[in-house]
Amino acid sequence: MRTSAASITRIDIRHGQLPLVVARLRGSDIDALLRDLDHRYGDASGFFENEPLLLDFSDWAESEPASTALQQQALLQALRRAGLRPLAYQAAPVTWQPVLDAAGLLATESHGAHGMRLPAERTESPPPPPAPAMPQASASALVVDRPLRSGQQVYARGRDLVVLAMVNPGAEVIADGHVHVYAPLRGRAIAGARGQADARIFALALEAELVAIAGLYRTAETPWPDEVRGRPAQVRLQREGDGERLLFEPLV
Amino acid sequence: MTKIVVVTSGKGGVGKTTTSASFATGLALKGHKTVVIDFDVGLRNLDLIMGCERRVVYDFVNVIQGEANLNQALIRDKQVDALYILAASQTRDKEALKQEGVERVLNELAGMGFEYIVCDSPAGIETGALMAMHYADEALVVTNPEVSSVRDSDRILGLLSSRTRRAIEGREPVKEHLLITRYNPNRVQDGQMLSLQDIQDILRIPLIGVIPESEAVLQASNQGVPAIHLQGTDVSEAYKDVVDRFLGQDRPLRFIEAQKPSLLKRLFAR
Repeated sequence: MRTSAASITRIDIRHGQLPLVVARLRGSDIDALLRDLDHRYGDASGFFENEPLLLDFSDWAESEPASTALQQQALLQALRRAGLRPLAYQAAPVTWQPVLDAAGLLATESHGAHGMRLPAERTESPPPPPAPAMPQASASALVVDRPLRSGQQVYARGRDLVVLAMVNPGAEVIADGHVHVYAPLRGRAIAGARGQADARIFALALEAELVAIAGLYRTAETPWPDEVRGRPAQVRLQREGDGERLLFEPLV
Repeated sequence: MTKIVVVTSGKGGVGKTTTSASFATGLALKGHKTVVIDFDVGLRNLDLIMGCERRVVYDFVNVIQGEANLNQALIRDKQVDALYILAASQTRDKEALKQEGVERVLNELAGMGFEYIVCDSPAGIETGALMAMHYADEALVVTNPEVSSVRDSDRILGLLSSRTRRAIEGREPVKEHLLITRYNPNRVQDGQMLSLQDIQDILRIPLIGVIPESEAVLQASNQGVPAIHLQGTDVSEAYKDVVDRFLGQDRPLRFIEAQKPSLLKRLFAR
């Protein structure tokens, strides 16, 4: 049977792009790494929803002790359990490559300074672009206009979050971008959930239980500074020497 | 038109069953045909507080599972004509509450001409509590003036706005009423209890009443008499106000001002 036009094909291959999350592995102590993973995301099931993942080994020093195949498998399994789908790797030590390849991961080019050689035949296929950890903030903000009560959670994936009603103790507002709360913020607020360090938290009355930006958090155990507590305020990350700290500023 | 009212709180021991009993009794005293259902399967209490525990033959779960019909299971109150009780089962667990079964029973009750169905919710946020609220038109959220109770009520309000049938079908939301129980103005003044203002700041739903802390409540439940029947007590008066407000009448708040103990009383208190 012939179709009317020869140009119509059953398969159409074109250029595509996929947003990726990147996991940077800091050092080869796999047991500690698994503990950290469990600690940060273990009780937040559904935080990741089958998201494609690039495993980035470029922070590893040449001298990192070797991991066993069992540890390597355990890492992949733990990432999958957390809702991540390891899809590709870069700058992996040679000892890791068999397990990663066997798991169907794609080797991508190393952008790191210390170039682990990748098998030449692997680089033939065009590597997916090394996506930034934070998807471009082009999507418009997620706007929530109902109160968020204890136990409720809103996550603005890849964008800002604007909440127009109160966020009560025990509620959680999370955004990959900024978090704005135009009402009392009494629950937990997490901005830059995927590591975007320039994300900020804005609240009309800062009474939060916890604020976090790009993984750096502070709880209300130490009371918020007087000039921001219960008042319009913003929280942002400030670079300080090697590290960073959370800066609380009143909004006039 | 039948109205389904859930009495709920999240936290246990705040006065849900006491409130269900008195509220249902109050509605019936006003001449409205009312049934109160105990959703706390496995830990039945309502029949004790209503003083009909010896008359329970069939219960709510029997009706849901088709082992008895509603006429066999409904217990007619001895003091108030328009009031009926549907007891919970002591021997089953909450998994016996199936949604279709609950809906069928509620529809049958509506068909029998009940004006109000009061659902006494178990504590917690598990099946029993979710079933009790699922078909509700209105909710009495019972809260004590303390932080953990307010937090749990907040959680329940979140569920009322997301897990009930009205929420799921996108209809007009469940009408929420805040009922503060065990309120002791003197202890509020001393800073031992949250004030009405503190509670409303967090929960932000209309206040339907304040029930003062009172020994009459314990006395009533031990006697198997709904507290609203204890004529002349603050608690009885406060519950009557709640019923009136629920039925659309204006009643000023009472029993919310601190009493200054007299000098003599203070001396003897030592």
